Amino acid sequence: MGSIKRISKELSELTESPPDGITVELADESNLYEWKISMEGPERSPYHNGIFHVKLSLPTEYPFKPPTVSFVTKIYHPNITNDDKGSMCLGMLRADEWKPSSKIAAVLEFARQLLAEPMPDDAVEGRIAEQYKNDNGRYEEVAREWTRKYAGASQ
Amino acid sequence: MVRKVESMSASVTASTSLPDNPRPSRGLRRFSLLRSHTQNLSSSLPSGHSYRHSLSSRIPWRFSNSGSISPTHQNPTPPCPESDQPTLSRYTSAPAPGYGFGAELNSQISSTESAASTPSHDVTQTPHAMARLRSSSAAQRPPPRMVERTTTLDSQASTPSPEPGSAQNNVNDPTSAPAEESEATSRSEIKATIRFFPYQDSQQSSRPSLPFVPITRTLPSESCVIRVGRYSERDGIPLPNPTEPSDAPVGFKSKVVSRKHCEFLYVQGQWHIKDVGSSSGTFLNHMRLSQPNMVSRLYTIKDGDIVQLGIDFRGGEEMIFRCVRIRIECNRSWQQQPNEFNKNTESLIKNLGKGETADYSGCRECSICLGSVLRPYQCLFMAACAHVWHYKCISRLLHSPDYPMFQCPNCRAFTDLSAEVDDSNDLEEKRVKETEGQAANDSGEQAEPEEISVSETNRTGETQDQLEELAEDNLVNDVQNLHLQDEPQTDDTRSTASPAPSSTDDLARSATSNIPGWQPTQPLSVPPRQAQLRSETPTSDDNPLTPRNDSGPLAFDGRAGMS
Repeated sequence: MGSIKRISKELSELTESPPDGITVELADESNLYEWKISMEGPERSPYHNGIFHVKLSLPTEYPFKPPTVSFVTKIYHPNITNDDKGSMCLGMLRADEWKPSSKIAAVLEFARQLLAEPMPDDAVEGRIAEQYKNDNGRYEEVAREWTRKYAGASQ
Repeated sequence: MVRKVESMSASVTASTSLPDNPRPSRGLRRFSLLRSHTQNLSSSLPSGHSYRHSLSSRIPWRFSNSGSISPTHQNPTPPCPESDQPTLSRYTSAPAPGYGFGAELNSQISSTESAASTPSHDVTQTPHAMARLRSSSAAQRPPPRMVERTTTLDSQASTPSPEPGSAQNNVNDPTSAPAEESEATSRSEIKATIRFFPYQDSQQSSRPSLPFVPITRTLPSESCVIRVGRYSERDGIPLPNPTEPSDAPVGFKSKVVSRKHCEFLYVQGQWHIKDVGSSSGTFLNHMRLSQPNMVSRLYTIKDGDIVQLGIDFRGGEEMIFRCVRIRIECNRSWQQQPNEFNKNTESLIKNLGKGETADYSGCRECSICLGSVLRPYQCLFMAACAHVWHYKCISRLLHSPDYPMFQCPNCRAFTDLSAEVDDSNDLEEKRVKETEGQAANDSGEQAEPEEISVSETNRTGETQDQLEELAEDNLVNDVQNLHLQDEPQTDDTRSTASPAPSSTDDLARSATSNIPGWQPTQPLSVPPRQAQLRSETPTSDDNPLTPRNDSGPLAFDGRAGMS
């Protein structure tokens, strides 16, 4: 359980100086391995004004194994599965890409960056990726609508 | 298609006996995919590929440098192509007869921009897309389209070139010039080095690929080519990792590897790969380079690329039918030379013994626990890339199934933890130096106050300029010592040949004077600095294996002289 020290250190760093538009807390104060994150939709993206709840689970082998990131809030995005899991495909989170020296802060910032700039070539939702590439206007429309519907965007 | 593969495996002269199938790559790929699925369902994977076995056979090779050793006395089992003994089939390299490529190389360099940048054909988009698709479960991906150039080049290649040396005029490229920088004397450091590591695809449902001992090659000159092909019994077992620059061919004991499979070339400061007409294909990051029995163009490779030779045959259950997956490590020589990072690490380590006076300003954190590393009284582990962790934190990665291979979690550099310690190959010379240092020690014991200040500069100064200043300072000290005591002979030798020993000695002494009872770590830094200062002597200069780093052995592994 050498990971506890590192996790608590990262957690305190993230709560003290959270990255832009991201707030971090434990889902359950007694469990260090489940994090509750709320992420503001980045400006100039169809997700703007939305608050997205993200679940971050750390394996007990962390930092030797990557954390998993899933969107609790439904979101219309090529890189996030459109099911009840809402799992997110991040290159750096793949087992063979993950480096123990990567920090959660970097993961979260990368995830938020992905909201601003989806990567349709690395998509998990092929249909949305297709639309993102070929009919960007329609994609933005739907994404904005979903943001309003599920992520509580005010307008 | 099945018959084709079988015939390949059955006959040794595969490349000539194969029918010329116009588009076999698609079929082969499907075939292999299909096989991988069925394989997955039907059988459990043969898992054992521990490197430990390979070691016993490898270490003796490292000791003997001549290419013509017979390994039979080291390996009780004779090397046999059918054998699936892990030790033997793991790695062998076959000195294949040279075959001309020079004309082709020339024409390619002049006609394409492939050397400098990845070319603008659609093929270049394919590898990236393919790599991504790999993750997103694209089972039926199209085979990469081949450029028309392949065929034109093929015709060029078919004109035999008299000598590989005809490619020599490409050698003087401007890109290698900046690497030379300050150290004009140490030419050997900028020699092109490439390393091959076995790669196991953890993500896909694939079987283990052919295990082999990591292979290192340092080109004696840039026009050299590393030929890769099937190991052949006739040629004997050469060294996997020769200690001197070598372009010895690399052989793999797998029947899916053609005898002339692919080549690695170093052109204009870049490593390239080229399929030389293999029958079962060379794959760069999952993209096949050429049709069967066709020569491909040059493809740029970079650090971390995965090269696969051939495709598993019969499910790859037998070792001899497994494909070879290689993880490339290249362009990393900067890491083995003195640079800001490892010099910083070195000075931090020197600080460890200094107690309260120590300066931890540049202290880094352990990337595993995020706690600060490089404070005294901790067990640390430092990799060859000068990254440091707490031993407790990193031990999990050290004692992995991959041991003795260790991959740095920070920079992904691979290290062979069981590699022989390279404390420079001329022990004789070092011993002489040490006795010299002792002589200087005896004579220089009195002049304390000035010398401590000298050691201050010595601690931080690593560049050559500073060392020269240092040498001057030492000369001043030497002169002062002359007044203090009368030992004309030792002073003579010091002032002419080696002013260094006195300074390193001072260092040690200043440390001990600060902390009584602390065992000085400094003597460790004596050999390389002396080697550096003694480089005026022609013998050490000529020898490419003398470690060239001036920053002490702590910051480096032994590869500095070979890079």
